Amino acid sequence: MSHGEAGGHDFPPTSSVRRWFVTTNHKDIGILYTITALFFLVLGGVLAMLMRVQLWSPGASVLSAGAYNQAVSAHGLLMVFWFISPFAFGFANYLVPLQIGADDLAFPRLNAMSYWAYLFSGLLFVASFFQGGTFDGGWTMYAPLNLPTYMPNIGGTTVVLALIMFIAAVTMGSVNFLTTMYRMRAEGLRMRDLPMFSMSILLTVWMMLFAFAALLAALMILAAEHLFGVTYFSAEGGTLLWTHLFWFFGHPEVYIVFFPALGIMAECFQTFTGQRIVGRKWFVLAMVLVALQSFVVWMHHMFLTGINLEIKTLFMVTTIGISLPFDLMVFSLIYTMIKGRIRFTTPFLFSLGALVLFIIGGITGVFLGAVVLDYEFRGTYWVVAHFHYVMVGGATGLFAGIYYWFPKMTGRMYDEYLGKVHFALYFVGFNLLYFPLFVAWETPRRVFDYAPGLTSWHQVASVGGFVLGASFLVMFYNLFVSMATGEEVGDNPWEYSTTAEWAVSSPPPLENFPGEPSYAGGTLSFRDEPELTADGSGDGESAGAASTDGGVQTDGATAGGGTGLVGEPGTATPTAAGTGAVHADEEHADHASFWPFVVCFAGFLAFLGVSGIQSGGAYLGLTAVGGVLSAVGFVGLANESFHVPEPTVAEQWPFGGVENMKLGMWTFLASDVVLFGGFIGSYLFLRVANGWIDWHHEFIPEAHVTFPGLVNTYLLLASSFAVVLSLVAAHRDSSRGVVGALSLTWLLGVGFLINKGLEWQHLFHISTEAFPNGWNVGTNVASSTFYLTTGLHGAHVIVGLIMLVYMIPRAWKGAYLDDDSGIEYFGLYWHFVDIVWLFLFPLFYIL
Amino acid sequence: MMDVGGAVVGDTVLAGASGIRAPAEVFNSIFVAFLGLGTLVGVVVISYTLYNAYKYRYREDEDPAPGVDRPELGELPEGGGKGKKLFLSFGISAFIVLSLVIWTYASLLYVEGKPTEVQQNGGDVMTVEVDGFRFGWQFTYPNGAEANALRVPTDTVIDLSVTSRDVFHNFGIPELRAKADAIPGQTTNTWFVADEPGTYQANCYEICGEGHSGMTADVVVMNGSAFEEWYATTEPANASATDSAAGNGTDAAVSAPGALVPAHAGGAP
Repeated sequence: MSHGEAGGHDFPPTSSVRRWFVTTNHKDIGILYTITALFFLVLGGVLAMLMRVQLWSPGASVLSAGAYNQAVSAHGLLMVFWFISPFAFGFANYLVPLQIGADDLAFPRLNAMSYWAYLFSGLLFVASFFQGGTFDGGWTMYAPLNLPTYMPNIGGTTVVLALIMFIAAVTMGSVNFLTTMYRMRAEGLRMRDLPMFSMSILLTVWMMLFAFAALLAALMILAAEHLFGVTYFSAEGGTLLWTHLFWFFGHPEVYIVFFPALGIMAECFQTFTGQRIVGRKWFVLAMVLVALQSFVVWMHHMFLTGINLEIKTLFMVTTIGISLPFDLMVFSLIYTMIKGRIRFTTPFLFSLGALVLFIIGGITGVFLGAVVLDYEFRGTYWVVAHFHYVMVGGATGLFAGIYYWFPKMTGRMYDEYLGKVHFALYFVGFNLLYFPLFVAWETPRRVFDYAPGLTSWHQVASVGGFVLGASFLVMFYNLFVSMATGEEVGDNPWEYSTTAEWAVSSPPPLENFPGEPSYAGGTLSFRDEPELTADGSGDGESAGAASTDGGVQTDGATAGGGTGLVGEPGTATPTAAGTGAVHADEEHADHASFWPFVVCFAGFLAFLGVSGIQSGGAYLGLTAVGGVLSAVGFVGLANESFHVPEPTVAEQWPFGGVENMKLGMWTFLASDVVLFGGFIGSYLFLRVANGWIDWHHEFIPEAHVTFPGLVNTYLLLASSFAVVLSLVAAHRDSSRGVVGALSLTWLLGVGFLINKGLEWQHLFHISTEAFPNGWNVGTNVASSTFYLTTGLHGAHVIVGLIMLVYMIPRAWKGAYLDDDSGIEYFGLYWHFVDIVWLFLFPLFYIL
Repeated sequence: MMDVGGAVVGDTVLAGASGIRAPAEVFNSIFVAFLGLGTLVGVVVISYTLYNAYKYRYREDEDPAPGVDRPELGELPEGGGKGKKLFLSFGISAFIVLSLVIWTYASLLYVEGKPTEVQQNGGDVMTVEVDGFRFGWQFTYPNGAEANALRVPTDTVIDLSVTSRDVFHNFGIPELRAKADAIPGQTTNTWFVADEPGTYQANCYEICGEGHSGMTADVVVMNGSAFEEWYATTEPANASATDSAAGNGTDAAVSAPGALVPAHAGGAP
């Protein structure tokens, strides 16, 4: 199945600017991510160099104290969020579909949206510098310093919103990658056969799905403190609440950062030693263990916060435990070299270098795991040196990736000599910069006035920093020039590489493969598209033979039916099932859509407006414009005709019977569960900290009674039932029934909101001795937790109602009779929203 | 290695006249052990790595394992054998790491429990409250006196009860190896024993605003009698007669006239 480069519709060539704004192709988006991430590397790097200049001698005044704090914080935030993971995901976008045998990701427009959301979130961050200074409380954003009392500048709020937008990008990416990797693998490629890089990305997105949801909860609450004056982190126990929420995210985050690099290192070790990875299945098992364990070590960042000895001991054990799988992986890579035929190409040098740096970083991490030592290392440069060795050590693996895959992406080889020069400068600069920080470890973090005796070490570090920075000039020059004049390469410039991307041209064609990739015969082959397509239900290990008994493709080509989801690629051109075999050649994949860009640009405007909304005026206008434009964008997305053919034959274990949209919805809901978990956990934590029983007497007015909550519970349960009725009506081919039932759902949902509105109005306006000014959003911690948590739920209800407004007119025209999957997906979402309420009701109304 | 109370033979040299092994000593001995072992492991592993990288470098005409079939394009990964050597190395490294940490657990228990234990045994513990604020430290002594500098006698368990008046700070005296988070609304504790008189510096270890870099305090260790003399001159809520720093958050300068000069190293007990 190969179409012309134009890919159907008027898909502009890569030389056209327009192409880059409308593309949804994973390879283009991978390149966009990579280049944008490198831009943020430079920005974060410049900030670091400013810091190193300030640190040349103690008490320097190159930067004012305030500017220094901003530089430190922005350096951390930009590097961790806007550089390193997006850089890895540039590769993931480009390579994962190629490695697993897919034509693209499951949801191409969602993929484009995730890129634009990333870019615009970064621009939002840059804007914050100009709004009274950016966030200056460290990348860890500890409370209470992160609160408006101590950070009144609008820029501080903007950074919080930028992070929220970034998390939206990441979550879209996680949903997309998970659905793709579970449902679109080539025939014969079982999950355990995933190439090491794709495997590492799989585990990374699993961790991202859950970890970022916890951070989102923390950031939404923090944004609400800035914008609506809620009292969470400023309440009793609030400081510790932030550290729990942040580090529950923060620890998995460091593995999210490192895993893609580990995957690249494994691939480069295998390719450039000519030896298969030693103990591969143990290596993979070790990665899985780390991914799971990463969620149970977070309190090792909190050993000095006064938690009790038993908990400290527990987390010491889990922390040491998590270092063990890494031991195994390190040895696996080392043993892979034995009896190899090692070629010291630039990618291998960077991979080997990454391994050495990671060994050093890892050993120093064991120091930090010994609580008694951590007591002293807390807040010092030992921590700084340790995490730079492991994190930037990880980045070193990513730079291996850029050299490894540059020939594939551009069709030209980089200059090997310059690559080695880059590596030499890089490795020397890296160690000159970070090793002295171990020696000068007693320097407090984020301090530029340190003990004079440590000056020479800081000076060596500063020199190292500039050498490291300069090494990148060599890289940029090399890659830029080589794109134009590098030696042209064929499909596979690397001897002993094994993965599918090396079996296609460099760069690959738009549709990736010359035929349908298949591993059914034990190695990669490309089949011609079969005329009669297989039943792609993928039960068990193999999807079975290509020919069938003449049945109709059930799983493959998209059938009709709208999407209940805003922002998901819709397929507005139904191919009714039952018309016989579908010829794959007749399906053109769409590759272009303008709407992702529009929606994310609108989001940028809206968030920018919201950041200063308390000052009104221009900000209010921006918010309104952004809001309207994003509504236009979502409608455009939903109404657009965008065709995404599903693979005719694919390995889909264990989601064989779950079509892509449904799996995507489930994945999204899983992350939503963690989001609500963060809010509910915060409520429980604060309630315990403030006195569980006293909470009710002291903070909640008599007027807050159970009845409205009870009514709301019945309304929601009835509305869920109504959705079920609409499914029944669809099966009975009654479009009126569907419209009726969905309208009933809508009315009940509106009733819920009206009831809630009345309840809130009443509470806002009470005037008692205890609450003379009403019980408002910011009155006390109980009111804050009540309004924010049930408000988040209410927002979910509103989104559902908006979806219904889209669906009901379509139901009127008979859209869901043949294919009710749209209703099914909506139902999943709606039932989820109801189930959340069933938790909130007892917590906030009864207990 | 477990130290459960009064002086133990090996401890006396380290513990000074109090007979109590200071956290500084605990930290230093563990740190040195970790450094030694960590450096050894690091050197061994990295050398082995580089050795193998060199030994198995590509040579045109020589294949070190001609019988081995090398990876081919389009192949599926194998199950992954050769586990034995891997598990041996993994086992050794795991053993080293676990032993190290278990060894430190005893010290953790010691450090956690010592002040309570000393008090229970009737020993002397001087508790000083430490309040962090933007951007300085205030110390409140057992008699209620307040000061901007921390003055303590040698050879006594000093228990610091640390909190913050505003944002999250962290109080640490690097040379005495004391460190505690300063969290608003709650108290955390750390303790130390100083063997030698001298002046040390305390710093803030958690970013707290523009004054974070300069948020320091003097820690003056005085021998017993000198401390007693000074302490007698303090008054509750008004130790500023002798510690006259302006209290506006800058470094605590201890130089009021008539203030006792701390004895330096070698001062008689």
